[in-house]
Amino acid sequence: MSFITQIFTLAVFAIFVNNFVLSKFLGLCPYIGVSKKIDSAVGMGMAVIFVMTMASTFTWLIQEYLLTPYNLEYLQTIAFILTIASLVQLVEMVIQKTAPSLYKSLGVFLPLITTNCAVLGVSILNIQEDYNFLGAILNGLFSGLGFTLVLVLMAGLRERLEKAEVPEAMKGMPIAFVVAGCMALAFLGFSGLNF
Amino acid sequence: MKLFKEFTKGFIKENPVFIMALGLCPTLAVTSSVENAIGMGLAATFVLVCSNIFISLLKGLIPDKIRIPCFIVVIASFVTIVDMVMYAYTPEIHKSLGLFIPLIVVNCIILGRAEAFASKNSVIPSIMDGLGMGLGFTLALVVIGSIREILGAGQWLGMNVMPAGYIESPMLVAILAPGAFIIMGLLMATINLMKKKQGA
Amino acid sequence: MGYFIKLGLVLLIITVVASGILAYVNDLTKDKIADNKVKAEELARTQVLDGAVTFEQRSVTLPAEEIEPNPLKKKVEAGPREFIYYEGLDADGKLIGYTFVASQYGYSSVVKTMVGVDKAEHITSIKVIEQAETPGLGANSATAVFQQRFAKKGLDALKVDKDGGEIVSLTGATITSRTVTNSIAAGLKVLSDAIGGEDK
Repeated sequence: MSFITQIFTLAVFAIFVNNFVLSKFLGLCPYIGVSKKIDSAVGMGMAVIFVMTMASTFTWLIQEYLLTPYNLEYLQTIAFILTIASLVQLVEMVIQKTAPSLYKSLGVFLPLITTNCAVLGVSILNIQEDYNFLGAILNGLFSGLGFTLVLVLMAGLRERLEKAEVPEAMKGMPIAFVVAGCMALAFLGFSGLNF
Repeated sequence: MKLFKEFTKGFIKENPVFIMALGLCPTLAVTSSVENAIGMGLAATFVLVCSNIFISLLKGLIPDKIRIPCFIVVIASFVTIVDMVMYAYTPEIHKSLGLFIPLIVVNCIILGRAEAFASKNSVIPSIMDGLGMGLGFTLALVVIGSIREILGAGQWLGMNVMPAGYIESPMLVAILAPGAFIIMGLLMATINLMKKKQGA
Repeated sequence: MGYFIKLGLVLLIITVVASGILAYVNDLTKDKIADNKVKAEELARTQVLDGAVTFEQRSVTLPAEEIEPNPLKKKVEAGPREFIYYEGLDADGKLIGYTFVASQYGYSSVVKTMVGVDKAEHITSIKVIEQAETPGLGANSATAVFQQRFAKKGLDALKVDKDGGEIVSLTGATITSRTVTNSIAAGLKVLSDAIGGEDK
């Protein structure tokens, strides 16, 4: 398969077949927490794509040139999470300076990207799946895209739900989960996709 | 008596999963069987209690500005210890839980309790808080896991509990991703109903 | 400036202490972990070849396969491959059969099967030792019900019923069934050639 085909395959798999939220259950807290409005969902999604791509880059380098050569694989969790925490701190400072309105609307959810399982998850998965440097970066990018896609779709649905007549007990999170379940059902159709 | 309150609040009133909606990722991922649910719950409880102890002990020494990274290092260390010990002594469960063992480090419950409680209280209450929250988490996982395993495979802890005909073709969706979401949503709705009835 | 240095120092100390503790635990557990892997394979071998007491490893070198390099994954050494199999000997040291591991990517994961073969090159029994297929569907390939279907089958019968063979596939899991069957057939062919070549 040609280079382009491989990249395309990776993209389809990362965004649809192995969607981080709907098949792997990663990134659920922000998915439920930030998906109430389309604007904040898009902003959050962009931030997550950026952090996931950068995190994939740096954690891959750390694994390749620090942890493996010195037999320090057991320090993977600590090293990765500290890298991610620093990255998020950096992103926070940058957004605060360059787009203060976005900073305000994301609020407390921005530092929470550190605890977004999707970011740590993709970093670990890149190593497990034996991706090389380019593969790791692309996987981070596409998985982030998949997350954002589902997040924005969810926000769109929830904005509509605000106007629908939902039973009292289902309002808020319960209906969000059931809707997520229906989306997951749809995405289940992608599994078994093979080129 | 106050100590006991710190312990029991994690079970119902401030249950991390159902009431505070924390720790959602592992909740949906590992509850396809009760065995995995118990494994994850206990592993997380261990990490929670240990990190609460250390963070409570070190609370005077950690400067406020870098407290989050310090908490993270402490939590990550215990997660790595649990990971290695499970890999060595319970390899089957380690395999089923897979990626979600290192992901305990980003379980909002643990960081949340470190920030909200352990960094501001002494050791014994922190232990109680950690135990209570951890076991409350485990309880929530087992409840969800039981529903999913019984509906989706007709079993509970690997033992058949539904008639043979059901086991032949169970409601598979319950152990797959969509089922997890839907069951979670319905459970939360049920709890909302119960909260309303109590007038809470 | 001194303030930041102090912050950095505290974080550094905590991290170094944590790393030291982890290095210690790693040392304690890594042997057990390696041991578990070996034990699991040994156990699987005795389970598929009844009566075998000791196993002797043999290997054949196969010509290098035309693996299309994936530009996104790490380079796999495209050299000649080794096919490893074991001769099973009973308590008197007599050869009773062989075992090998068949491995192939199925629906959503690599499925590894331990295969036991008797001297007449028929399968004794199989055991799926690694898989992460769909729970309730492909994952049932690890159940006795499916694995029993392979007993006593020779190379000619090793295809799923849909492909004209004798192996009944799992309901709703054609791909997994086909993967397991075909990987076993491929391995059996290589084994057959290898033993045939050794015939004195």
